[in-house]
Amino acid sequence: MKRLQLQRWSSSALSSRARTGGRLQRHLYSGTRLQSTNSYSLQDQSLGQQLAPPSATSDVPKFTKRQLPSPPAEAARESAKLAALHARLYLPSRLPLETLARCLVDASADPSAQFNNQSLAVLGNDLLSNYASEHLICTYPRLPLTVIFAAMYAYVGPKTLLAMSREWGVEHAAAPGGEVDPGLLQYKRLDPGAKPDAEPLVGTTRPNEDQTTWRRSITSSVVYDNEFGDPERAASPPAELSDEPFLMNDKGPAPVTPEAASATFARAVMGAIYLHAGRPAAKRFFEQHFLSRQLDISKMFNFQQPARDLTRLCARENYDEPVAKIISETGRRSRTPVFVVGIFSGVDKLGEGTGASLSEARARASVAALKGWYLYSPLEVRVPSAMEEDGAAPWKPVYVDLGEVIV
Amino acid sequence: MRSSLRLLNLEAPASQRSRNLYVCSVCRHEARPRPFVARQFLRHASDSTPITERVRRKLWGTDNPPGLKDPYGGEGVFERKFKRGQSAPQENEPEAATEAAEDAVSEDSSYEPATTWEGLQRVGHLGTWSDLPPTKADAYTSFSLNRRLTKPVHLSLAAHQTAVELSLLHTLKKPLTNICDVIEHEQPVFKLIRNCKIQPKSSGQWDSAVVYPDKETEEALVYIFEQIGGAQEAAAEVATEVAPETAEDAELAEIEAAEAEDAEFEEEVPTTPSPPFFGYRDVKDKGYLDLSLNDPITKFAFLKRFSQLTGHFFPDPVIHQISSVQHVMKHVLAEQNPKPKKLADFLVADASLQSLPNVKIFAKKQKPSHKDEELGRKKLIDAELRERGLV
Repeated sequence: MKRLQLQRWSSSALSSRARTGGRLQRHLYSGTRLQSTNSYSLQDQSLGQQLAPPSATSDVPKFTKRQLPSPPAEAARESAKLAALHARLYLPSRLPLETLARCLVDASADPSAQFNNQSLAVLGNDLLSNYASEHLICTYPRLPLTVIFAAMYAYVGPKTLLAMSREWGVEHAAAPGGEVDPGLLQYKRLDPGAKPDAEPLVGTTRPNEDQTTWRRSITSSVVYDNEFGDPERAASPPAELSDEPFLMNDKGPAPVTPEAASATFARAVMGAIYLHAGRPAAKRFFEQHFLSRQLDISKMFNFQQPARDLTRLCARENYDEPVAKIISETGRRSRTPVFVVGIFSGVDKLGEGTGASLSEARARASVAALKGWYLYSPLEVRVPSAMEEDGAAPWKPVYVDLGEVIV
Repeated sequence: MRSSLRLLNLEAPASQRSRNLYVCSVCRHEARPRPFVARQFLRHASDSTPITERVRRKLWGTDNPPGLKDPYGGEGVFERKFKRGQSAPQENEPEAATEAAEDAVSEDSSYEPATTWEGLQRVGHLGTWSDLPPTKADAYTSFSLNRRLTKPVHLSLAAHQTAVELSLLHTLKKPLTNICDVIEHEQPVFKLIRNCKIQPKSSGQWDSAVVYPDKETEEALVYIFEQIGGAQEAAAEVATEVAPETAEDAELAEIEAAEAEDAEFEEEVPTTPSPPFFGYRDVKDKGYLDLSLNDPITKFAFLKRFSQLTGHFFPDPVIHQISSVQHVMKHVLAEQNPKPKKLADFLVADASLQSLPNVKIFAKKQKPSHKDEELGRKKLIDAELRERGLV
C-alpha cells in the first residue's frame, strides 16, 4: 500500500491566516462595529481601501489585537510557551508552531472554522478511536463490550485527555482573545455554578431517544453510540454549518468545560501530527503518549454471578461442567478460616480463588477462571493499521472471539 | 544726605494721600510737597551744627552734651562705602612703597594705630596652603598623552611600538622603563620603529627579537636608543666630574632639564590634536603578540609604556593574569565593549539565547498587568471596572 500524499488534500483542513484575508476582514469588521466609535461609512471606506490590495493582511494595525477572537498567526513565532510546548511534546519539526497554536484555539473561542481546531480534532478523534480500538480488540480478542467501552474511555476518553494535557503542561487562558499568548488553551469558559450536563442530550444518533424507559442494549451502543458507548449528538449536515455562527447566533458560541476543551486540543494535536508529519509519526505519537499509559484491564470487570457465567461459558464452548473443589483449607472452626477453591472442568483447572468462606472462595475462583478466559491475548499482536507500513507482510486475519456469554 | 534730613519723614503722611488711588513710592516722592519743617531748618543751613545737635544741646542745656558725638549710628552703609572707594587709591600708594621705608613710616608722626582689623594688610597664610602663590611644583604634567585610544588599529600599533622599543632596550641592556621618558617619538623615528618586525626566537624571548628591514634602520635605531635615558646620566656624569658642585645644583640641573622637557612637550601638544601615530595604518607583522610577559620587570615596563601610549590602565588582578602581549591586547579590546548595564541588553546580545525559541526577552520588567494581558484576563478586569464606573 502506498502512502498518501497528505500535502495535497490537507489544505482543506489547514488554512493559514495569510490566505484568508477576506474572511478576516469580515470578521474584524463585525468586531469593530460593536467596539469602535467611528462612523459606519468611514469604516466602510477604510475597509474597502484595505481590501483593494491582495496583501491587505499586513496593513491591518488599525485593529488592535484585542478585537481579534484568537491570536494572529504571527504571534505563534513569538510565543515562548508555544515553542516550549512543541519541544516538550517532542513534536516533529514539520509540524509548525502556527498549527500548534491553532490546535489551542477551541471552537468556543473562535467560531470561524478557519481558525479553530475543530477540523483537526475531528480527524484526531477518528485516529485515536481507530488506533485504540484496534489495539484493544487485537490484544484482547475476547473482551466483553462493556469492558472494551470502558477501556476505550480510559485510553482516549475526555477525562484522560484532560489529564494528559495537564501533564503536557498546557495552561488555560482566562478568556480568549487576540492579545492572549498563543501558547495557552483558549476557550469560552462556563459561568461559575453552571452545570454543563444538567439536561439530557437531545438530538442524538439513537432512534427513539425520547423513550427513556426502553432498554438500551450494549450491542445497540456499537451501532448507535460513540466509541465509548455513550449517546452522541448527531452531526449537523454540512449545509447547516455556517462559517460564522457568530452572526447566525447572537449569543455567540456556547461555553465549554475545561475537560471538553482539553480533549479537543489533544485530539487536534493528533490530527495535526497526522496531517503534517504523516501516519507513522501519528502512530508513534499515539504509542508514546496513549498506549504507554498503564491500564489494568483485569480490574474493569464486574461480574454479578460469576459461577453461573462460567457454567454458561463452559456449555457454550463444549467444555465439561465446571466443578468447584477444595484444594486446601485452614481454620475452618476458627474466626478466620481460609479456603482455597479450584474450579475444574474435567481434569483442567480453570481457576483458583481464596476466601473466608466456601462460597466466596468459589466465586473468586470463578472470577479468576472467567478473567483467564476473557483476558486471553495472542502472543504476537498485529493490528490492521500495521498493514499501512511499507513492505508489510501479507495480512493474516486476527482471531476475534464471539464475545461475552449472554445469560 | 544731610543728617538733619534723616530724621524727617520722607514720605507724605498717610492722611494727605488719597486712599483710593494707589501711587507707587517713587511717584509719591516726586509728588511730595517740600516738607515745611525742613525748609524752616534749612534757613540755618549755613550753621555747622546740625539740627539734631542743636536739639541735643537744648535738651541738655549745655553746649557740650554728654554721650556720643553722633548718637544716630554715624554714617550710613553707602556713605561709608563711597568714602572708602574714594580713599582706596590713596591707600595703595603706601603699600607700593618699599619695605625699606617701613621703619621711616613707623617713626612717622602721622602714624595712627588701627582700631579695627578692617582694611589692614594681611601677612602670612596662617597655615592655609591655598593662600600660597603657585609654585613650580604645583604645575601638573601628565605622565601620558591625556588621550585614550580606542580603535584596534591604534592599540595594535601601540603594542607593536612598545614591543620594538622594549626588545631594543633588552638588546642594548639598558633599563627598560627609560623609554617612558620619551612620550612621543618624532615621525621619522616612529616610521623606523614601525618598519621593524618582531620575531621571537623561542618561547617569546625578548632578546634580539627585532628584525630590521635594513642595516641603516638598525644603526639609526640603536643610535637613538643609546641616547634614551642618557640625558640624565650625562647630567649626572657632568655633576660628578665637576665635583665641587653641590648636590642641590645637580637637582637644580635636573629640574631644569625636566622643565626643558616639559616645555618641549608643551610645544609638542598642538592646539588641534594630531591623529595618533601620525595616521599610520596597522602593522601587518603580528609577531609581537607571541612575546612573553612572564618576567615581572618586562611586564611592568611593557604595561607602563603601553599605558602611556594608549591611556589604558590595568588593574592589579589583570596585571597578575597577564602572561603575554596577546593577553594585553585581549584585555584592552574587551574593554572597548563593556558589559551592558541593563540585563535585557545583555541578554539580547547573547547569541545563544536568541536562537532559543522558548526564551523571550522583554525590554521592560514584566508586571502582573502584563501577566493579566497575556492570560486574557485584563480585558475582563477593564470591562468590570468600566461597568462599575471605577475607570
